Amino acid sequence: MQLFLEQTINGVALGSLYALFGIGFGLVFATLGILNAAHGTYASWAAIVAYYALDWYGAPFPVAAAAGVIAGGTIAVVVDQIAFQPLRNRGTGLLGALITSIAFWIILDSLAGQATEHQALAFPATSYPTRMLELGAMRVPIMQVIVITSLVVCATGIYLLIQKTLVGAAMRAVGWNSVAAALGGVNSRIVILLTAFLAGATSGLAGVLAGVTTSNVSFTLGEGLMLKGFAAVVVGGFEDVRGTAVAGIMLGVIEVSAAQYLSTSFRDGITYTLLLLFLMLRPRGLFGSTNFLRA
Amino acid sequence: MQTLLDLWAAHSSTVAFAMVNALMALSTYAVLSTGVLSFTTVVFAAVGGFLSAQLVAKLGMPLAIAFPLAAVGGGLAAAMVAGAFLKLETHWMALASLALVLITRVVALNAPVLTGGVNGLVIPRRVSLGELTVVLVLVALVFYRLSRSWYGLAARAVREDPAVASTMGISPYRVQFIAFLISGVVGGLAGAALAFTLQFISPETYFIGIAFTMIASTVLGGSFHWFGSIIGAAIFTALPVAMQAVVPAFEDVAKGIALLVIMIFLPRGLIDPRAAGLRRAARARIAAESNNA
Repeated sequence: MQLFLEQTINGVALGSLYALFGIGFGLVFATLGILNAAHGTYASWAAIVAYYALDWYGAPFPVAAAAGVIAGGTIAVVVDQIAFQPLRNRGTGLLGALITSIAFWIILDSLAGQATEHQALAFPATSYPTRMLELGAMRVPIMQVIVITSLVVCATGIYLLIQKTLVGAAMRAVGWNSVAAALGGVNSRIVILLTAFLAGATSGLAGVLAGVTTSNVSFTLGEGLMLKGFAAVVVGGFEDVRGTAVAGIMLGVIEVSAAQYLSTSFRDGITYTLLLLFLMLRPRGLFGSTNFLRA
Repeated sequence: MQTLLDLWAAHSSTVAFAMVNALMALSTYAVLSTGVLSFTTVVFAAVGGFLSAQLVAKLGMPLAIAFPLAAVGGGLAAAMVAGAFLKLETHWMALASLALVLITRVVALNAPVLTGGVNGLVIPRRVSLGELTVVLVLVALVFYRLSRSWYGLAARAVREDPAVASTMGISPYRVQFIAFLISGVVGGLAGAALAFTLQFISPETYFIGIAFTMIASTVLGGSFHWFGSIIGAAIFTALPVAMQAVVPAFEDVAKGIALLVIMIFLPRGLIDPRAAGLRRAARARIAAESNNA
């Protein structure tokens, strides 16, 4: 029983990372209409920046993490302005931005490889909180609590921002039709910048936290998050933050329990079978409306 | 003459890879030309690659039989994928096809009997440049004929506006289904060609990296004309080799920047029939004006 509970918490913590990353990825896809292949590298770079902030400047962990998050957001804004902005008025649709994002994926991935000298770096164990939290008979690492809390705070915050505020309404309007939004008095340029920063920062946070909990700071970090975060977005439905959060946690729990009770070789298999099932049976995700089919 | 021969010896493998990539890009073009953004070329290539590799390695079949069977395998996979995917809306189709690429790798990893699993497959035979050229020329010929047929016209109409196309009596579903079949057959061939060029394949061979480079070379070359795919694949294959000579440490960065610059300044790609048409019209107008004067 205790093992089961501990594994469940492990799963929830792992899934929270997927969800956190997926929220950023889904935000860009839903609001800006961009399938961003470079999104994983934001997470890698956030972790790398946090690592060097610790390593070179001896910054305390919260400051280093904040530096990583801001770096993630800034890179996202820069990529958006260089790669996506010039294509916005030309009607190249999903395709043009996909190609420029692939270009940035190649560039940032290769630079990240050079920044870490093609090794997997790890945050020194003294640099982040390693205390164990006693919950009855269970001992939970404090980092897992931080990860889960981050997801709850970010998911709730972004959900409320999108659904309840004027800024969120503007974001949804731009996502639906940016010309109509502009006619309605929305400054789409600022909304785009804000969305890009928010998405980059959220995925950057996922990158920093994943870099700490998996002891892996390298260009492979973002790729791993990207594949699983992507699955979370598809299962949860990209138009809804709640769906991504729930689906991410679900994937994490399923992965950990599959590895515990079945076999590690089934781990990815189960994740992607689930993905396929959802695509076939509920293509618009957990919370998506089903009555919207292709003409 | 000697330097030419040396140059050829150093770069003949680049040429071979350019031809393989051209086949992949043509497979991506086949669906893209009907307005479907799909990464499933990689899936068809995996089917064709593993199928032909096993046929040759286990059953000792000649390439002349293995390649057509790979094409058939790719086509069958495409029929299944098309049946399931064409119900989805554009954005979802892109996501779904990407998910299918991920699933393909997991399936390949967990079916070692068919694919060699983690260890991959070593392929005893290599496809020659001549054989590759024959395959590519045949495929290109098919695309040339198709582009001037009823199907080519219908595909352009469906890409521009499916609703208008269906009022003209063209079924978008049917045209896109045919596009998937073509993509599957060519993708299967491309997968087999890649297998017999690399001489080693594993589940990692047919994965995200190749999916992204394929779509990038198709769009880079120009996704509005079949010849664009061949040009795009050639450039995308030759660029890293050329960059390695100039800036060895940053060859990938240079590749990315080149792709970025071309896409920002020529978003319709290098080969663009519309731009060519506009230039011709402009020349004709200038000629007419100077005649009048």
